[in-house]
Amino acid sequence: MTNTSLDLAGKQVTRAALFGLVSVVLYFLLYLFEDEILAFTSQGGWYFIAPVAVAFLFSFIHGNFTAHFWEVLGIKAKK
Amino acid sequence: MEIATNFIPLNALDVTYLLVVGFIGGLVSGFIGSGGAFVLTPAMMSMGVPGIVAVASNICHKFPKALVGAIKRAKYGQVDVKLGLVLGVSAEAGVIYGAHIQESIHRAFGDAGSNLYVSLAFVIILGIIGSYVLWDAMKTRDSADNSEEKTARLARWVQSIHIPGTMVYFKSLNARVSVLFTIPLGFATGMLAATIAVGGFIGVPAMHYVLGAPSLMASASELVIAFVMGVGGTMKFAWSGLVDIRLAMIILAGSLFGIQLGAIGTTYVKPHMIKMVMGVIMVLVLVSRAIVIPVYLSELKLIEELAPHLPGALKNISFVVLIGALAAGAAIVFSALWRGISLQRREAALAGAPAAAFAPDVVATPAAAQLSPVGRFERFLLASDGSEYSAGAVREAVRMAGKCGARVHVVDIVAGGDTELDAMGEQFLARELNAARAHLDQIQRQAAAAGVACQSEATQANQIHQEIISQAEKTQADLIVMGRRGRHGLARLMVGPTTVRVIGHAPCNVLVVPRAAELVGRRFIVAADGSRYSDAAALTAARLAKLCHTPVTVVSVTLPVHSEERKREAHQIVNRLVSFLKQEGVDVEGKIPHGRADEMILQTANEKNADLIIMGSRGRTGLERVLLGSTSERVIDQTRCAVLVVK
Repeated sequence: MTNTSLDLAGKQVTRAALFGLVSVVLYFLLYLFEDEILAFTSQGGWYFIAPVAVAFLFSFIHGNFTAHFWEVLGIKAKK
Repeated sequence: MEIATNFIPLNALDVTYLLVVGFIGGLVSGFIGSGGAFVLTPAMMSMGVPGIVAVASNICHKFPKALVGAIKRAKYGQVDVKLGLVLGVSAEAGVIYGAHIQESIHRAFGDAGSNLYVSLAFVIILGIIGSYVLWDAMKTRDSADNSEEKTARLARWVQSIHIPGTMVYFKSLNARVSVLFTIPLGFATGMLAATIAVGGFIGVPAMHYVLGAPSLMASASELVIAFVMGVGGTMKFAWSGLVDIRLAMIILAGSLFGIQLGAIGTTYVKPHMIKMVMGVIMVLVLVSRAIVIPVYLSELKLIEELAPHLPGALKNISFVVLIGALAAGAAIVFSALWRGISLQRREAALAGAPAAAFAPDVVATPAAAQLSPVGRFERFLLASDGSEYSAGAVREAVRMAGKCGARVHVVDIVAGGDTELDAMGEQFLARELNAARAHLDQIQRQAAAAGVACQSEATQANQIHQEIISQAEKTQADLIVMGRRGRHGLARLMVGPTTVRVIGHAPCNVLVVPRAAELVGRRFIVAADGSRYSDAAALTAARLAKLCHTPVTVVSVTLPVHSEERKREAHQIVNRLVSFLKQEGVDVEGKIPHGRADEMILQTANEKNADLIIMGSRGRTGLERVLLGSTSERVIDQTRCAVLVVK
C-alpha cells in the first residue's frame, strides 16, 4: 500500500470514528431523554417541525457514519 | 412526563427487531428505490403500535432514508433530480387523494372493507406490473447482450408526442416529455403509496417503461419521489402529533446501513437485476396479500364464514410470506454485491499479477521462421478506452506481448464530431483527451514493468472503428487486441458495434478479450466449418499452441437439419485439422458435437476450461454481415474466455 492510500484509509477511519461517536451520542441522548423528546415532538401543530428536524439531524450524522463505515470495511462502489 | 397512550414502551427485543427489519428494508430501498415499508408498518403493528402511529413513524423514517440514498446514488450519476421532483409533487396530490378514498371506504365498509380494498389493490396492481417486470427481467437476463437496455416502445411513443407549453427536458430520458404524461404517473405513484405504502412499485416501472428512463436511474430517482412524499407525509402526521420519533429513529439506524449497501450494490450489477429484485418482491407480496383475501371476504359476509382458526392462520402465513418477500429481495442484492466485489477483486489481482502464466518457451522474434501472416505475432495494436471493459484486453495484450516479444501500440480514441460532443464544447473534449493520456501513461508503465516495448497515442475520431483500422494499417499490426464492449464519448455504453466493425474490416487478426478473461494457455478451441477460413484458424492455432505448449480441441458442430452426408463431412473436417495439428507437434483432439453451433462451441469451451476460442473470419467485410446475429457474434458475446478471430 502506498503512502497516499494509507493516508486516505487513515482519514476514512477517523471520519467514520468521529461520525460514529456523534451518532452514538445522539442515540444515547434519545434513549436518556426518551419521554421528554417523545412528548415534545408529539405535541402537534407547529411542533411538527421538531420530528422533521430530528430526522434531518440523524440522517446527516448517521448517514455520514454509515457511508464511511462500509468504506472502511472495503465495500466501495465500483469505479 | 408521561408518555401519550399512542406510544408503547420499547424493550431490547423490539429495538433489535426494528433494527434488523430496518436494515433489510434499507438494503432493498437503496437498490430498487423503494420497499421495506410494506413490512415495517405491519411489523410495528405486531409489536402493539397503533396502526396510524406505525404509518406515521414509518413515513418519518422514510424521508431521511430516501434523502441519504438519493445523495449516495447521485454521486454515482444515477439520479435525475428534476424528474424526481416533478413526479414527487404530483405524487403528493396522489397521496392526499388516495388517503381520502381510503377514509371513504373505511367509513362505508369498516376495517374489513378497507383491508379488502388494500389487498385487492395489491393483487391487481402487483399482479399486472410485478409479473411484467419479472418477465422482462428474465427476458433481458437470457438475452445475448444484457448490459444494454432498450427503450420500450411505449416510452418511444411518449417521447415523440409534442404538446406545446408542456414539454420539459429530463436528463435521464435525454428527451423532452410533456408534463401531461408525468402528472398522472406521479399521481398514481402517490395513490399507491397511500394505499399499500410502496409507491415505487408504480413509480419505478412508470419511469422506465412509460417515460424511458434507464432502470438504474428510475430506481435512483424514485428515492427523490420518496423523499418528497415522505416529508409531506411526516408533516401531515406530525401536525397531529402521531409520529413516534423513537421508532422512526431506531428503524433509521438500521436502514441507513442498508441503504448505503444497496446503493453500492447498484454499481456492480447489470440493469436487469434492478427489475429482477423488484419483480420477485412484487410477486411475493402479491401472494402474501392474496392469501388473506378470503378472510376479509368472509368478514364482509361475501363468502361463507371461515373456520374459527383459519383467519389467524392465514394472516400469520401472509405475514411470513411478506417477510420472505423482503428477505428474498435482500438475498438477491447481497448475492449480486458479493459476486460483483469478488469479480472486481479478482480483476485487480490479475492486473497486478506478474505476467508469467502465458509462458511459451520459444519467444517469437522477427527472425523466427514464421512466414504465414496469420501466425505472426510481432506487432500488436491495443485499443483501450480506459473503461473496465477494456481492462482485460490491456492486461492480456501486455502479458501476451511480453511472451511473444511483440511491440505494442496503444490507442485511446475519444469520440468527437457528433452534435452531443459539439454541444459540450472544446473544454469537454480536452478533458476527455487528458483523461485518455493519463490512462495511456498508466498502460505504458504497466508495459514497461513487463519489459514490453510500448508506444501510445490519444486521438479523436468520429468513427472509432475506422480509426482503429486506420491505426492498424498505419502500424502494420499483426493483431488488434480489444475489449468486448466499449465506452463511447459520454461514458455511454456502446455495445458490440465497434468490436463487430473492427472484426469485419480489420486487415489482421483480432483478439477480443472479455474483462475477466485470462489467457493462461490451458486449452485452445478451434471452431471449424470446413471453409478455408477455418484452415487459417488452425494454422494460427498451431503457431500459438506450439508457442505456449497448449493442447487444442478442434470442434465442428453438426446441426439437426444436417444430412448424413454433411455429418460425415464434419468428421472429415475435424480429422483433417487434427492430422495437420498433430504433424505440427500439437497435443490435439477432435470433437463433433450435435446442436446449435454457438451453444456447442461455448459448451465445449466451458467443459474443457478453455481460455481461447480461435475462429476464422469470412473475409474483409463479410464478417460484419455474418457476425450480426450469427454464430460468431453469439460466441463472442457470451463466452467468458478470449476469442481470436483469424483473418
